[in-house]
Amino acid sequence: MRIATLSHLKSWLDRLAQQADLVAPRDVDGHVLYRPVSSAAEVLFEYERPELSAKDYLFPATEVLLRVEQEGKEVSIEEVLPQRPQVIFGLRPCDAHGLAAIDALFLNQQPQDRYYQQRRERTTLVGMACPKMWDGCFCVSVGGGPTDRSHLDVLLTPVEGGFAVDTVTPKGAGVLAGLEMTSVEGRPPAVEEYARPVPVASPDQWRARFKHDLWMRHGERCLSCRICTYVCPTCRCFDVTDRVVDVQAGRTRIERIRAWDACTSTNYRRAAGGHNSRPTKPDRIRNRFLCKFCYYPQDFGPLGCVGCGRCVVSCPVDIDITEIMREVAER
Amino acid sequence: MTVSANPMRPYLGRLTEVRQLATGIKFFQVELTEAEGRAAFADYKPGQFAFLSAFGAGEAPFGICSTPRRGPYLEFAVQEIGHVTHTLHNLEVGDPVGVRGPLGNCFPMEQLQGRNIVILGGGIGGAPLRPVIHTILDNRAAYGHMTILWAARSPDLLVFTEEFDDWRADWATELHVTVDQGNEGWSGNVGLITHLLERVSPSTENAVAITCGPPIMIHFVFLTLKKLGFAPEQMLTTLEARMHCGIGKCGRCNLGEKFICTDGPVFWQHEISGFLEGFL
Repeated sequence: MRIATLSHLKSWLDRLAQQADLVAPRDVDGHVLYRPVSSAAEVLFEYERPELSAKDYLFPATEVLLRVEQEGKEVSIEEVLPQRPQVIFGLRPCDAHGLAAIDALFLNQQPQDRYYQQRRERTTLVGMACPKMWDGCFCVSVGGGPTDRSHLDVLLTPVEGGFAVDTVTPKGAGVLAGLEMTSVEGRPPAVEEYARPVPVASPDQWRARFKHDLWMRHGERCLSCRICTYVCPTCRCFDVTDRVVDVQAGRTRIERIRAWDACTSTNYRRAAGGHNSRPTKPDRIRNRFLCKFCYYPQDFGPLGCVGCGRCVVSCPVDIDITEIMREVAER
Repeated sequence: MTVSANPMRPYLGRLTEVRQLATGIKFFQVELTEAEGRAAFADYKPGQFAFLSAFGAGEAPFGICSTPRRGPYLEFAVQEIGHVTHTLHNLEVGDPVGVRGPLGNCFPMEQLQGRNIVILGGGIGGAPLRPVIHTILDNRAAYGHMTILWAARSPDLLVFTEEFDDWRADWATELHVTVDQGNEGWSGNVGLITHLLERVSPSTENAVAITCGPPIMIHFVFLTLKKLGFAPEQMLTTLEARMHCGIGKCGRCNLGEKFICTDGPVFWQHEISGFLEGFL
């Protein structure tokens, strides 16, 4: 294996930060979050699972799609397509896996999402293997793993004397240019697998549970707070609205904005005229779970869950995806 | 769709006609002012929809209620019900709008050739059925008898009343109109469209029924059609949802693993009855 020392990694990151937008795990008031950084000094190299996924950097929580200017009856439209190269450093394998799930819809289904595609194309993913599995983690049960390299461009693994560097893609090789490495014998250590694997029922098993009291039991305590979709690396529902930025001398500047949405929100399915085909909380959490394990895999291929466990630890009323998965698989 | 096209960018258009169609419902005719837009809409089909942008307010999906055969302009019937539709209602002839589409599948007009057609429109739900009616009238010999049942909650909510004479003038079309509640000037039928349907009782022979209206109406029209002997393969509808993309990405309009925007909006009753999740 090839090893880079921490100090070599840092000087490489400092140079990288000059050439591209660099996103890395950072300590933000005691919270570990993927955040833009300007130098290696801000970057964490030993850290837990960041509290939020990195989907924000490919599919921002809020983004401007179009800038529209209107003067009298004349309108012009400018498409706001991202242009800057971006490196996400220290990405956990589950978060890379989450991006692969979004790829299946935004890139692999025509027409492509131009905004996501432009960012994805310009983004290099430098992952950091997890030294262990944390509270709520179950990546190994849904096709991932703490050292899974498959959705990354580079995988780093902490080893004695530095980090083992595994170049996964040509894009990864490109971004590593200038990183000093030494070759040594041996392989990075394996990570102990999670003691309690979670069973994943087939889409048909989930379909068969469409009418079942489990949705009432788990759903009635849901607060419709939407934290589960907010922290989820694969949830990708959005809405689109216009905002008037300003009106000056008869010229109106407008932004068309896309923002994350959540199928667990009360009005998600309220149509014109007020009809709501998912009026209750059980209706809505059923949609969320069936989307992840039945609809999304049937329509687009991958599961809509990467086992990061964030929704398990974030839910204020302890709705636990692994509990529901067990119930559907084992009954 | 080529990779470089951005499906979220609307084509620019200009309103060429705006008029009151019914209480709270306006008719909009749009001329596409960009060549790309005109090319995209060169051959749109009955049942397809498009997003209309009122710049500054946003965009919302509407069934296109015109056909390319009757002219180069796109037509929409818009009920004032939210922020976008309110803003659209304040626009005038000459004002700019955006149009994204055409989107979704369409009514299988070729497959329907030679069949007797029953049209059941409720309120603004009549709008996406108008291109079906126009296609049949404009290709009269290709289709069988057409029975139109046109309904609204009250007389002032009936849409396209100015075309009734045209529809009635066709030798193989009959038009029946009803309102849930009449008023002083109303001398026509009063009662739900399902009651009218039972009374008219169109023959099921070689027939296909096409309906659009509020979800609850579609549900009961299907039940009544079934009672009259219509098979699931003889019933079509078009569904709506509060969509934000129209291209299968935003997640808003799923019925189980189906998307109204890309798998529909036009569905046969036997498709809908097989869906995991209902539209009601």
